[in-house]
Amino acid sequence: MSEPTPVAKSAGQLNDEMLSSMRPPTWRWHVLAFALGAVVAWGLAAFAYQVMTGMNVTGKNRPVMWGFYITSFVFWVGLSHSGTMVSAILRLSQANWRRPILRAAEAMTVFSITVAGLFPLIHLGRNWVVHYFLPYPNQRGLWPNFRSALLWDVTAITTYLIGSSLFLYLGMLPDLALARDRSDGWRRKLYGALAMGWRGSAHEWMVYHKASTLMAALIIPVAVSVHSIVAWDFAVTVVPGWHSTIFPPYFVIGAITSGVAAVISLMIVIRKAFHLEDYLTPLHFDNMGKLLLVICLLWSYAYFVDVNITWYAHEPIEWEVFSFMTDKYTPLLLLMLFGNSVLPITVLCFKKLRRNIGLMLAVSLLINVCMFIERYLIIVPSLSHKNMPFIWHEYAPSWVEMSIAVAAFAGFALLYALFAKFFPIMAVTDVREFEVRKAEVPLGRAKLPVVAGEE
Amino acid sequence: METLGIFEDIETAGRAVDSLVKAGFSESEITSLTSVAYPDGVLVKTDGRTWFRWLALAGGIAGACAGILLAVGTAWVYPVQTGDKPIITYYPTGIVTFELAMLFAMIGTIAGMFLDMGLPPRNKRPYDQSISEGHIGISVSTTSGGESSRANEIMKAAGALWISAEETL
Repeated sequence: MSEPTPVAKSAGQLNDEMLSSMRPPTWRWHVLAFALGAVVAWGLAAFAYQVMTGMNVTGKNRPVMWGFYITSFVFWVGLSHSGTMVSAILRLSQANWRRPILRAAEAMTVFSITVAGLFPLIHLGRNWVVHYFLPYPNQRGLWPNFRSALLWDVTAITTYLIGSSLFLYLGMLPDLALARDRSDGWRRKLYGALAMGWRGSAHEWMVYHKASTLMAALIIPVAVSVHSIVAWDFAVTVVPGWHSTIFPPYFVIGAITSGVAAVISLMIVIRKAFHLEDYLTPLHFDNMGKLLLVICLLWSYAYFVDVNITWYAHEPIEWEVFSFMTDKYTPLLLLMLFGNSVLPITVLCFKKLRRNIGLMLAVSLLINVCMFIERYLIIVPSLSHKNMPFIWHEYAPSWVEMSIAVAAFAGFALLYALFAKFFPIMAVTDVREFEVRKAEVPLGRAKLPVVAGEE
Repeated sequence: METLGIFEDIETAGRAVDSLVKAGFSESEITSLTSVAYPDGVLVKTDGRTWFRWLALAGGIAGACAGILLAVGTAWVYPVQTGDKPIITYYPTGIVTFELAMLFAMIGTIAGMFLDMGLPPRNKRPYDQSISEGHIGISVSTTSGGESSRANEIMKAAGALWISAEETL
C-alpha cells in the first residue's frame, strides 16, 4: 500500500501536482531538448555517412558480423520489458503501490521497443533494399523466410510495439479526458480526439477495468515471447557459446532485470524533475528494490547455470570460446558480475539502503551499464573466436557505431521528454482512485488503513 | 433526453441517486459520471455484463488463421529452398501464429472495448468539466420533458450544484 500523503489534498490539487510536467516548457526544458536533438542529429549524420560510404566504416568484419548494433538491439528490447513487467504484473496482482509508477514504465516500454526496432535496420547494410523484407509477390524470386529466427523477430517486435502502444493508450484514456478538460486550443482538440468522448460513466469504468485486466494478461506472454525470440536469434545457431537451451529464460530474466532497473532510474529522474516527492515515496523504491533483488538473484542463477554447463561438459570449442572471453575481457566480465549480481544482491537486502534514493539511482544505472556489457560479452567473443582459428578476428566498435548507440540513448530521452511535456507522466486517475478509496478503520486500540475495492 | 446534475461529493450524489430510485426511476436509467472509478454500487449499480471479450477472442482466432496463412500459406505458394530443410515447419509456424494471434487479440480487445462503451459517441451527451476536478455527475435518461423536470427537481432538492440537460436521439 502507498504511504498516505501527509495532508488530504483536493482533487484539483492532486491534478495540478501530477500534471505539473505538462506546464509550458521552461528554458531548461528547451536546453535539454536542444542538446538531445543535437546528439540525435549527430547520430543521423553518422548513419548517413555509413549508408553513403559502406559498412566498412563500422568495426564489423568477418567473422564478427554482429557487433555494437545488435548489442544495442538486444539491450533496448530488454529495456522494453519494464512496462510490461512492472505495469501488467502489478496490475494483475492488484498491488496498490504500482499506481504512481505505471505510466513511466509503460511509456518506457513503447519508446524502448521503438528504438530497438531501428537497430536491425541500421545494422542492415543495404538499407535501400529494406523492402525485400516485405511479403509481397515480386519478380526477384524472393520471399521472407519465416523459418528464420530473424523473421520471428520482425513479427514479435511488431506485435510488441503495437501491443505496448495500445496498452499505454488504454491506461491513458481517463487521463486524456482529464487533460482535455483542463486544456484549450489545439491541445483540447488533440486530447479530445484521443479521449474518444470519455465521460467516466459507470459503464465506461466497468468496461475499462475489464479491458485493462485482459490487456495486461495478453501483453505478458507477448513480452516473454519477444525476448525468447531474440534469444533464439542466438540459440538456434551453432555458434559456440550461443547454442544453449538456457538462452530464452536467461534473456527474459536479463530483460526484466534491466527493465526494472531502468524504471527505478526513470522514477528518480521524474520525481526530481517534476517535484513528485509526495507520490513517488521511499516505499515505492523499497518495493521496486525488492522486485529488483529477486530478479538479480534469478539472473545470477541463470548465469551460473549457463557457465556450469559449459565448464562441466568442457566441450573443446565451447570451452575455448569461454576461456577467450574470460581472458580477453576480464575487466568487463568482472564489472558485469559485480554490477548485476554482487552489488545489487548485497545492497538490496537492506530496507534502509533500498529506501536511499541516491543509492538506488547508482545501483540501477550500474545494472543497466552492466546489462549492456553482458549483451556485448555474449555476442562479440563468441563470434570473434569461433570454430575456425584461421579467421579469428578481433572487433572494436568504430566512432560511427558508438555515435549511433549514443544517439539512440539521446533519442529515447528526447522521446520521453516530449511525451512528459504533452501527456500525463503519472497515472493521475489511478493515483486519485486510490486516494478516494482509502480510509482508516478502528481495530482494537489502533486505527488501521484500509482500501475499498470490489470482490 | 439526458439530465445531468453536478454534486460536490460522493455522499450528496449517493443521496440523490437514492431519491431518484425512490421516486420511481430505475437503476438502468441512472448513471454516474466520475473522474475516478468507484466500486460498483457506491453510486449506481451496473449489470456487470460486457461483450467485448468475444471480439478479443474473435481477433485471436483471426490472428491465428492469419499467422498460419502467412507462415504456411505463403511458404507453400512461394517456396524458398534452403538446403534440404522442410518448406513448412512446426516451430516457426507456431511462433508466427502465436504472435499474430496475440496481436489481433489485443487489437480486438481495444476495438471491442470502445464498441462496448459506445465510444466515440454518435450524439452529443451532457458533460461538465468540473467532474475532472472531483465533482460527481449523476445523469438520468428520460423519455419526456416531464420526467426530465422531475429528475431536475429531485436532484436540486438532494443538493445538486447545477443541472444541465441534453437532447439525445
